[in-house]
Amino acid sequence: MIKVVDLHFKYGGVDLEVLRGLGFSIEKGEFVALIGQNGAGKTTLLKQFNALLTPTGGSVEIAGLDTRKSSTGELARKVGFLFQNPDHQIFMPTVAREIGFGPKNLQLSKAQIDARVEEAAEAVGLTAYLGQNPLLLSKGQRQRVAFASVLSMKPEILVLDEPTTGQDYQEGIEIMEMVRKLNELGHTIVFVTHDMELVAAYARRVIVLSRGRVLLDDSCRNVFYRPEILKQTNLFPPQIARLAQMFPERHFERPLTVEEIYREIVNLSENKLNVCCR
Amino acid sequence: MTAEADCAGPAISVEKLTFCYPGSELKALDELSFQVSAGEFVGITGPTGAGKSSLLLCLNGIIPHFQDGKFHGAVKIDGCDTFDTSCAELARKVGSVFQDPEAQIVAPVVEEEIAFGLENLAIPPREIDQRIAESLELIGISSLRHRSTTQLSGGQKQRVAIAAAIALKPKILLLDEPTSELDPIGTMEVFEVLRRLNREHHLTVIVVEQKVNILVEYAGRLLIMKNGRIVCDAPPREVLERPELLTSVGLRPPPVGDLAFKLKQRGLYPGALPLTVGDAYQGLSECWADKGI
Amino acid sequence: MSVVANYIPRDSAVHRLSPLTKLGWSFLLMTLSCFFRDPLVLAGLFASIVLVALAAGILKEMYPVFKGLLFIAGLFILFQIFFISEGKTLFTLIPGTGIGRVTDLGLLGCLAMGARMIVIAASFPVLMGTTQIKDLVVVLVEKLKIPYPYAFMFVTSLRFVPTFMQEMDQIIQAQSSRAHRLDNKNFIKKFLSICPLAIPLMVTSVKKAERMAISMETRGFGVGKRTNLHVKQFRAVDAAVCSGMAAIGIAMVVLHFRGILL
Repeated sequence: MIKVVDLHFKYGGVDLEVLRGLGFSIEKGEFVALIGQNGAGKTTLLKQFNALLTPTGGSVEIAGLDTRKSSTGELARKVGFLFQNPDHQIFMPTVAREIGFGPKNLQLSKAQIDARVEEAAEAVGLTAYLGQNPLLLSKGQRQRVAFASVLSMKPEILVLDEPTTGQDYQEGIEIMEMVRKLNELGHTIVFVTHDMELVAAYARRVIVLSRGRVLLDDSCRNVFYRPEILKQTNLFPPQIARLAQMFPERHFERPLTVEEIYREIVNLSENKLNVCCR
Repeated sequence: MTAEADCAGPAISVEKLTFCYPGSELKALDELSFQVSAGEFVGITGPTGAGKSSLLLCLNGIIPHFQDGKFHGAVKIDGCDTFDTSCAELARKVGSVFQDPEAQIVAPVVEEEIAFGLENLAIPPREIDQRIAESLELIGISSLRHRSTTQLSGGQKQRVAIAAAIALKPKILLLDEPTSELDPIGTMEVFEVLRRLNREHHLTVIVVEQKVNILVEYAGRLLIMKNGRIVCDAPPREVLERPELLTSVGLRPPPVGDLAFKLKQRGLYPGALPLTVGDAYQGLSECWADKGI
Repeated sequence: MSVVANYIPRDSAVHRLSPLTKLGWSFLLMTLSCFFRDPLVLAGLFASIVLVALAAGILKEMYPVFKGLLFIAGLFILFQIFFISEGKTLFTLIPGTGIGRVTDLGLLGCLAMGARMIVIAASFPVLMGTTQIKDLVVVLVEKLKIPYPYAFMFVTSLRFVPTFMQEMDQIIQAQSSRAHRLDNKNFIKKFLSICPLAIPLMVTSVKKAERMAISMETRGFGVGKRTNLHVKQFRAVDAAVCSGMAAIGIAMVVLHFRGILL
């Protein structure tokens, strides 16, 4: 789905390269988290996926299309991009027209647009708000409007840049649950976040960026159980993984969530007690 | 200055505070009452729309002086009623730092940013110079003094904003989600500075924050808000004893606290609930050593 | 764009002058350019600006600005020149038809207007490039008695130019991700295609301004008399430069009325 080969990138007028030769490929249906310190190049990399930025060396291929030969508008059918701040895109007087803006740009018929607006609004739970002015909604709701306006273009790949920033935990979880559902329907997901608990809860694969290079690219568990490498880029594993690593002699099965470690600790304690009693 | 003599009592005292924004029947703040003593480190959390930001705006006098609306009740800072105290006078008592680092930095150079408030209060230039040096030193960013404000990282910008607030020598520092746009390291930088100001300089710190993980680690007292009311006012450990309270207002209990709470219910975690991963390690080690596990 | 208002740190004699002197210089150039009609004299005034930029060591940074100004002035001349019909015909674009007729008076008049435009506009970036904004504000408030809030507004609007450029960038990216096209050929469509950019920019700007106002209030903005950390002194050099400028200015005006410089 996404194929990145020896990607180099620098901004015009700046000598320093932001991306310094990275490569990986993401298959259809994957759920990938992209993590790293501020300035590691995460957002710059995301913007390569829909040709907002194009490689200054190497290549990026999206569903078989070379991003250097395709415009952002063409890629919009393949890649949906949810930005951090919904206020950077909301401009229509009603939620319905806001969600319909993308499909209209794709030159769909009126009936098709209406159907897609309906569908996208339902997916994010905004059906009741279709007639309202999006600017008067709460920040969390505005983020959903932005999300629906991405979904209405029916992209196969969803790219999310810190989708939960500025929202409370509940709102963040709701967005991520929608994303999970889309992933189950076969969409490919790539998201950037600073919240490691969120990564542990949702991502199946984690790519760690550091100074424009891939530092680690592995399953969630494998990445969070390499603290010595994560430390180089000032990231900390989720609390539970950190706790488990403080007990190397206990040989925990690399838990990431409260439930996983809880079960192990209960087993450990009760087995021991059982042995004593016998 | 005349008010100085009358000011006494707790650092902050809020009594039956109610506020509605103009054109809205909804009470952004609904009969709030609480007090904060000098030197406390208070964390305020809650879902969006709970009234956290509105509360801070009441504490620094923006409400009622600049934001219209229906205002009932009383807010006293250092014994002075905010209703009768000018914003300039309040600016000397209460420093404020906001969420968006971009929108609160007005000057192109760090030094001038710190000077801005001091100049407004007509402090003599020689003293301004001295206070800039002091506050940058206090925050640990003396090396940034002559840097351009546009070229700083998010964490640096927020620390400059804190230095600019501290330069006015307030007794209370208010922060509204100061780390929401920062990465984990930037967040730590900000909270470490707050801890030092609180412990070493006896500054009263009130911080609104979504990340409960970090609040339980740094704050001595948590206020949890929902629908304009305070639903819980307790030290972090007591809050962890009631994880259902956090989840009911849509907040995430910190994982290690949550784990210890669950283990404790089965008698597998003795003593006080952990605030940090280190606490949890100690608690579990001691427990297992006792039981010979 | 941001280069127009940016301070370029250098240690030159021009940088060390009082902002008042440089403001006076800028004002003198504007006044003189209104007196003169001769493109050659105006070109001379422009040359003096280039020399000042050179002396300040910021010519390299100013180059794109000057180039842009020349381009705009060129466009302006091109648009105007065919609409002046007085004077002798020099040539017509399409011979024999009278379409695209250029007269001697038209040519001179347009050149003068274009050159005047350049002179008026070119001194400003040089002034801003060699003067720190805060020094300028102090002068505006203390010496020229402009109320502080106005001077402050002027300065902050400059400080926020780069921020708004960044916001605009983000908005363009967000909208083009939704397949929004900006490269419409049709003029009306092109105009309409600005809406999806202009509205979010307005909304985010208003929010930013609101937040900034609150942040300023909490730091005692506008409560009354204020002090200034740094005050740039008006020194003997400034006095000398000012008198020199005044002398040259008066001389040029006198020559103008004698009919020597037009």
